[in-house]
Amino acid sequence: MGDLPVIDYTLSFPYTRTTGPVMGPFLTALRDGQILGGRCGDRVLCPPLEYDPDTGAEVAPDLVPVGPGGTVTGSTWVSTPTEKHPFAEPFAFATIALDGADTPLIHAVKAPGPVEAGTRVMAQFRDERVGAITDVYFVPEADAVEQTIAPGDEPVEITEHLIGVRIQEDLYPFRKRYAQALLDGKILGQRSPKSGKVYVPSRGYDNMERVPMTEADDVFLPDIGTVVSFTEITPIQYHGQTETDPYIRCAILLDGADQPVTGIDIRDLRPPEFKVGLRLRCVWRPPAERDVSELDNRMGAIPEGVYERWEPTGEPDVNPDELRGQAW
Amino acid sequence: MSALPCAVIGTGQTKYKRRRELTLDGLVREAALRALDDAGLEFTDIDAVVIGKAPDALEGVMMPELSLCDALGAVGKPIHRVHTAGSVGASTAITATTLVESGMYDTVLTVGYEKQSEGNATWALSGGKSGGQGAGGTFAPWIREYIARSKAPEHIGWLVAVKDRQNALLNPYAHLHIEDISIEKVRESPMLWDPLHFLESCPSSDGAAAMVLTNEAGVKRTGKTPAWVLAHAKRTEFSMFPGRDTTRPQAGVECAEALYKKAGITNPREQIDCAELYVPFSWYEPMWLEGHLLAEEGEGWKLTDAGDTALDGSFPVNMSGGVLSSNPIGASGMIRCLEAADQVRGACGEHQVEGAKLALGHAYGGAAQYFAMWIASAELNPEL
Repeated sequence: MGDLPVIDYTLSFPYTRTTGPVMGPFLTALRDGQILGGRCGDRVLCPPLEYDPDTGAEVAPDLVPVGPGGTVTGSTWVSTPTEKHPFAEPFAFATIALDGADTPLIHAVKAPGPVEAGTRVMAQFRDERVGAITDVYFVPEADAVEQTIAPGDEPVEITEHLIGVRIQEDLYPFRKRYAQALLDGKILGQRSPKSGKVYVPSRGYDNMERVPMTEADDVFLPDIGTVVSFTEITPIQYHGQTETDPYIRCAILLDGADQPVTGIDIRDLRPPEFKVGLRLRCVWRPPAERDVSELDNRMGAIPEGVYERWEPTGEPDVNPDELRGQAW
Repeated sequence: MSALPCAVIGTGQTKYKRRRELTLDGLVREAALRALDDAGLEFTDIDAVVIGKAPDALEGVMMPELSLCDALGAVGKPIHRVHTAGSVGASTAITATTLVESGMYDTVLTVGYEKQSEGNATWALSGGKSGGQGAGGTFAPWIREYIARSKAPEHIGWLVAVKDRQNALLNPYAHLHIEDISIEKVRESPMLWDPLHFLESCPSSDGAAAMVLTNEAGVKRTGKTPAWVLAHAKRTEFSMFPGRDTTRPQAGVECAEALYKKAGITNPREQIDCAELYVPFSWYEPMWLEGHLLAEEGEGWKLTDAGDTALDGSFPVNMSGGVLSSNPIGASGMIRCLEAADQVRGACGEHQVEGAKLALGHAYGGAAQYFAMWIASAELNPEL
């Protein structure tokens, strides 16, 4: 039998960015081993900006080399870097007034210990450069080495960024009991102590009557119900999509429930056999194979990891007119 | 204390196709500058900025209201960001309106945008997981329920898809310009979420829409043709609860009731000249005609079928081509409000409804659970 999971998943996508007339040349120059600032009135801004931060006026791109040396104006020491940080070992984040620039650049300084304001630092370029702010980092001037950088080919006009967030949380109390029940081959709902309505899966409270529900309100529901709505989906391809063939997603009103469970996956039935009013029963996976890791605190579904399929019970269909207002 | 009058005096839109040559900042600014130009104003004339967009996951830019300050001339000014999923563009316009109505600010710039080419909406709306239903897969079962309930024939969806794309041919900003659009073409396009074909669904668009809102003094000072915001309403309901009617959400009915009451409208179909309704999937035209009390229950599709919602019909809907022709999500609701305003300003060019004096702008969002609507009027005190 599977264990109850702690929710842990990473949501990430390879977003693209149009770099535009100012950031594009800035990133192209970084790839080619140079830092550029942008003239804006009588100042040089680094990084350069598309629009004057004081007036909102458009800044005609006028990019000039700055650095590679600069002076630290402030810093903080990162003693325990995360995997997202530019260095695995402790380092400093610093505001660096690059030579020739009037605004400080925030960047990483690779140093043996905390970096004082006033420290002279020098840009160093990484071997692998892609046209990103992480192509460069800084070191105390004495540690700098001479570098020969071969420029790249095309200007950096579109960049790609795998941006993600890792979500870790405990299932909240009702969801834990719901997940355990699924592992046991049972469906757990809750009956509102105020309205008597049965919610499945419950949120642990009745959102209509605004009352909490406790373990005393738990009710087991039969794993049999009626199709109240569905659609047949032809999958669109996107990042992480593994589906290629059409499939049905439906909502099933379990016997005794007052709202349907949604997103139920149907692979072996098709219209016209599959229809609103059809009576279905859950065919569970063997206990050792049941998996609730897809469950989170929000989804209103029964995770696919616990059932093999839903099969017709053979009972007469329910008249769809009796199911009006249950579609989800 | 009652609200002070508020009017739209400038509108700006970008072309809603993929804009790979522009930064997100440049895209938003393009619409803002066009709206300011239309109003004869500059950033320095603006007292506050209100922006709206759909979920951050669509482009992966967190708190964009901060990074967009420079491009919107908003440094040193109040900037607000509104978020109500797909209805956000209309909610944003309404939020900006209330800032003028309250007397807090004289002139407010509001902008809605999305740059869908930098992310993927179906991925984001599927929670980043394989096998997601996306928006189409969520709404399709409810559309099937509407069809079963109303006994509407299947060609109604195709009619809407063709009509809106024909209107789009008259709107230079529209994303889709499908010259040879036809019933056959719609019917034969791939079935994505039964009963929705590919051509019955909205495109993924880039774009921004902006409006300049001001008070009575601002209208006088600029001398620009105003669209008065006669009334607005927002309503919300839970995505799921026992007995929820997903095909005719109660919040949508109540939003319309509140809107018409505020505007003094007793017979919306007769008194309103035209409407921009949020129709991302073809069947939502008849569903919102009914769900917002513009037609009796079960009768909405008959208006579509009879051609009443065509540009030359008795109650034109989505004269601009609608969401079916352009869907920069966070801007889509604002475009509905903007087009309603431009109709009563007589500024819609080839898709102008002759003599439009009162127009409805509408958006919905989430699991059809957020609603935002406004009435734009040529007159501050119209005779209804």
